[in-house]
Amino acid sequence: MLMYYLGLARRSLRRSPVLTGLMVLAISLGIGASMTMITVLHVMTDDPLPGRSAQLYTPHLDPLPLDYKRHEGSPDPADDLTWPDAMALLKAHRAVRQAAMSGGSLLLRPARADLHPIYVSGRYATAEFFPMFGVPFERGGGWSAADDATGSPVLVLADALARKLFGTSDAVGQTVRLGEHDFRVIGVTADWAPKPLFYADQTGTQYSDADLFFLPLSVAMDQKFPVSGNQSAWGKGRSPSLTSANMSWLQFWAQLDTPAQVAAYRQYLVDYSAQQKALGRFQRPPRNAKLYGLMGWLAHENLVPGDVDLQLWLALGFLFVCMLNIVALLLAKFLRRGGEISVRRALGARRRDIFVQFGIESALIGVAGGVLGLGIAQLGLWSIRQRPDDYARLAQMDLSMLLGTVVLAVLASVLAGLLPAWRACRVQPALQLKGG
Amino acid sequence: MSLRVMLSTLRRQRLLPALVLLQVAVACAILCNVLFLLWHQLQPMVAPSGVDERGLILIDQLSGDRVWTAPEVRATEAMLRAVPGVRAATAADGLPMVTAEIYVLGLQGPSGAKAGVNAYVGEGLGQLLGVKLVAGRLFSPADYRDEGAKWGVPEPIVITRALARRLFGAASALGQLLHRPDALQGPGYQVVGVVDHLLRNQLGWAVDGKADNTVLLPERVGATPSMSFAVRVDPDHQALAMREIGKAIAAHFADAMQAGMTPQVGSFADRRDAAFRSRRAAAWLFFAVATTVLAVTVIGIMGLTGFWVQRRTRQIGIRRALGARRSQVLREFMLENALIVGAGALLGMALGYAGNLWLMRFYELQRLPWEWLPVGAVAMLLVGQLSAIVPAREAARVPPVVATRSV
Repeated sequence: MLMYYLGLARRSLRRSPVLTGLMVLAISLGIGASMTMITVLHVMTDDPLPGRSAQLYTPHLDPLPLDYKRHEGSPDPADDLTWPDAMALLKAHRAVRQAAMSGGSLLLRPARADLHPIYVSGRYATAEFFPMFGVPFERGGGWSAADDATGSPVLVLADALARKLFGTSDAVGQTVRLGEHDFRVIGVTADWAPKPLFYADQTGTQYSDADLFFLPLSVAMDQKFPVSGNQSAWGKGRSPSLTSANMSWLQFWAQLDTPAQVAAYRQYLVDYSAQQKALGRFQRPPRNAKLYGLMGWLAHENLVPGDVDLQLWLALGFLFVCMLNIVALLLAKFLRRGGEISVRRALGARRRDIFVQFGIESALIGVAGGVLGLGIAQLGLWSIRQRPDDYARLAQMDLSMLLGTVVLAVLASVLAGLLPAWRACRVQPALQLKGG
Repeated sequence: MSLRVMLSTLRRQRLLPALVLLQVAVACAILCNVLFLLWHQLQPMVAPSGVDERGLILIDQLSGDRVWTAPEVRATEAMLRAVPGVRAATAADGLPMVTAEIYVLGLQGPSGAKAGVNAYVGEGLGQLLGVKLVAGRLFSPADYRDEGAKWGVPEPIVITRALARRLFGAASALGQLLHRPDALQGPGYQVVGVVDHLLRNQLGWAVDGKADNTVLLPERVGATPSMSFAVRVDPDHQALAMREIGKAIAAHFADAMQAGMTPQVGSFADRRDAAFRSRRAAAWLFFAVATTVLAVTVIGIMGLTGFWVQRRTRQIGIRRALGARRSQVLREFMLENALIVGAGALLGMALGYAGNLWLMRFYELQRLPWEWLPVGAVAMLLVGQLSAIVPAREAARVPPVVATRSV
């Protein structure tokens, strides 16, 4: 029966190629536009560290004075931690693992004569950064807490930079000159770059950046290495330095495995704030201290640019227009066939049969529209990749999105075909036969 | 055929016209919003820059591994002036189309009207940019003090015409005082000149009549971590002069430059192009959305009117046989289309406004000004009429003899 209906549908669609073409075009335009935006949103709201993100939290304190007023559009200083606070949280060691970190860009002078000095961006961090984030290593490993304490000049390279500097030979044990200092390479990470770079300062371009090196935060402080990212100072007094209590610039992440640990850590943050307030350093209520989960932090930072969100709404609205369009066109098409329907009904076809027949016809249009829409979505993604925005080059479709497109197209057109098919199956056989 | 008869026809066949109406309404709502967003992107691009663009070269991101001293800045100015083809050069803080360095200032007028402005600072910068003065004067050499110096007396300021209107209303701006909202008791600024236009360099804010929120201040650029310059060259030999400037900078700084940092040297046109790249891409996207929405609407209306005509062929034939003229039939279909699309557009205006308000609760979005609603509605009406023409003409061609046949 299905094959018979398919045959009928094909014949009917071929009878009016222009109308069919228009319907396929309309649904494919709607599907193409909305799938383009859904794909962009999908890659942007993806979990940057699947499997680990549920255990990762970032604590936030509010060390700002009561009268501090933030300028419109400037970043919130309370998004980062000050050096004294970060050190206090590290020392307290209340989480399973914790690390303080900051970004930096350093001049690298390669030993190889054929390579020019280059600026590389990387991260200054404390030892537990690697086990906490589960950074995979190709060779060697991260440094220890003892290295942090003594300020050992050790370095972890990203595989891309290691390959560039040392080719296929083992980078571990080699010396790299960063800034004006020699570092001993102790590890090379395997390909690892969370997207977005959630642990980085929020003022950067988090979809296109990746860290090329990692070195101990204590070394960066000793050598006065430049720090990238936002540095917000408040209050009066002499110009703040990185260790000032009134300048925030560090990011801090903690691993908390159980809800009890999370609750305890949250309480600890409040207690710490209360203690600082008692000491006269903090002025705002201790309850302002917050603990964000990884995905919650991404939502808080609203890393998905507003224009992407907005474009998604536009695209969905557009899909709705296209669906209305198809409802109307299908209705016109089905009602025109009143004669055919009444003959079939008079010959014994049930209403359900008519309904299924027209449902299959709409599904056929949906499949065609989905395939064409896939092409249009690829075109749309290509055009987004040409944009200069930070997230642009991420705009790629994966298999689930490919399948999703076709499913959405069929679903949309079957949905759109429901009303026309229902109208068609209510045609009174006798009336139509007489009128014909 | 009277309107009453037409309405009763529509009432009898409700579903199809209702679908067209709904489609037009949603399309119109989207179109209003998209056209407004498109305009939002285009605004800074169509705003007049207010400077003499030919022969203007802008340089920035000249960074060393330490802070440049004031004498080093002066020496670089002198070096640039000595390059063949260069007519004038000055160190600047804040330059049009240069978005890497921005000098922001809040200003409050006597009536309490406030404006956030971008300042362009540098000795002789106004003259060098070639701004068009409409009242008062630009700064004279005696006006200048070092950047960051204490003034004690009102600092002279040159503002734009749009800014003068915003801060002082209809009154003349010349000689009037302006203050920073956080230093209302201080000496403030005294307006000495008004220029026609000067586009701000926070281009994202150059919308809704705030494109000209720009001022010039008589300050000399001193010690700075990153130098910027405005250079005026012979417009006929701009490309040559630009190459020479690039060479001169490379020779002058040799290894004093911060490695890995390349100073940006570009003509005004280059800078403009770079500054608007992202905006242009967004504008194209909105344009594409607007045209596809219209295209889909055309498809829908054409298909339905065509079906409508086919259904009523017999009726048209009878009317023709009874003496209706072709033009009457044509007019009737066009009117019917205008009625349905017009109702849809009305609904769409309300929908567009409501949708905008709803989206504003979640996103940083501008409120859709009500003037944009009729723009979308009129576009819809026009598109509706255009797509009805072909089927309506087909209807008009139906011969009266059809009435005698059974279909």
